[in-house]
Amino acid sequence: MDGVHDLGGKEGFGPIDVNEPEVPFHHPWEGRMWAIENLTAAPDWTIDWWRHVRELIEPVDYLTRRYFDQWMQTQTAALIDSGILTLEEVISGGVVSARTMTGSPMQHHDVIAMVAARAKDYSHQIDVPPMFKEGEEVRARLMGATGHTRLPAYVRGRVGAIHAHHGAHVFPDASARGEERPEHLYSVVFRADALWPEASGRAEKVFLDLWESYLERP
Amino acid sequence: MASFIADRIVEIHRQLHDHLPSEPALRVKALESILVARGLIDSRTIDAWVEAYSEDIGPKRGAHVVAKAWLDPAFKARLMADGAAAINELGYLGDATSHLHVVENTAEVHNLVVCTLCSCYPFSVLGIAPNWYKTAAYRSRAVRDPRGVLAEFGVVIEDTIEVRVWDSTAELRYLVLPQRPPGTEGWNEARLAKLVTRNSMIGTHRDLTPKTGEAA
Repeated sequence: MDGVHDLGGKEGFGPIDVNEPEVPFHHPWEGRMWAIENLTAAPDWTIDWWRHVRELIEPVDYLTRRYFDQWMQTQTAALIDSGILTLEEVISGGVVSARTMTGSPMQHHDVIAMVAARAKDYSHQIDVPPMFKEGEEVRARLMGATGHTRLPAYVRGRVGAIHAHHGAHVFPDASARGEERPEHLYSVVFRADALWPEASGRAEKVFLDLWESYLERP
Repeated sequence: MASFIADRIVEIHRQLHDHLPSEPALRVKALESILVARGLIDSRTIDAWVEAYSEDIGPKRGAHVVAKAWLDPAFKARLMADGAAAINELGYLGDATSHLHVVENTAEVHNLVVCTLCSCYPFSVLGIAPNWYKTAAYRSRAVRDPRGVLAEFGVVIEDTIEVRVWDSTAELRYLVLPQRPPGTEGWNEARLAKLVTRNSMIGTHRDLTPKTGEAA
């Protein structure tokens, strides 16, 4: 989707706050939102659907609200969409059918174990052989995709080279629609001077992980 | 069940934007209250999550990985070959690290990690990402002007050093292996780990010194 989330190379965002305190959460509500996001979901959500819900936040909110505030917006919208909460109860603060959670709360060691159990393998074996080889030149397709996609605008139409083949991974454009469709994934390297008008002669390299259908032979 | 319909989400976002309190603290409190009242979450469980990510699950895990790699060439070889398997030896495999890829800084190469499309970060080995990592400023500029970004962090990279930027566009996550500082010969793992800064594992810090641990 051609949204404001696709930030790579966009200009005008100014300096980085390099002196922010090195703490995980800057406000108590940030830590609570992190936990809520980790503890509430519908079974059919995919990471790409969740990312898409975040990308669909009103553009002004996306660019101005703090990260965990965006998570609040994303999680709430996804919970409402899945029928876990209703829009009315979120807006009014009144709950239609109150009930008490049963069972004991999680302890510290339960959290450590749950984070470890979250290791999720996105790779798949597929029968189709990879189309590109290491070292081969490729062009990122100029045409993007509506809906969720992980082909950033700043590389579209640009020529790079295959740095590595990662095997096949779940294809995000389909995963955001709830479909599991693995496709070959590559690390693709672009030289800075192939990406930016002011970078003539600059040798920095930018590596992206791109799926096969995002690429073509130049 | 999710609808997977973008227009539906856009409408929900609009309603939330128009009707929720203006303060994020109040918005999150309202959400927590509803989830508790509906029996979907226990506030004490939220407390446990905040505590775990404030204490155990954070950059000290990554620093342990780095110090071990400096001391143990066989571990380093395994880490470079399969980052996920290597951190699993230390119990750190988990959320967002199943496809962990370690990139090594050398005298000739400096690595910098970003996620331009969202804010991907290897949670189970580095904890919560810094806020700056998730801002539009960092996400937009890291791929376009990495040396300028590094200079803002006080890192000046000589022209002869190649800068490699890793944009986390898939489920691979990147961890920078910084260079071991000179003057640390004979140090043990715990002492070395104290020198490893969070930013050095993202790439916005380069030259660790025997003093960096004391400053942090």
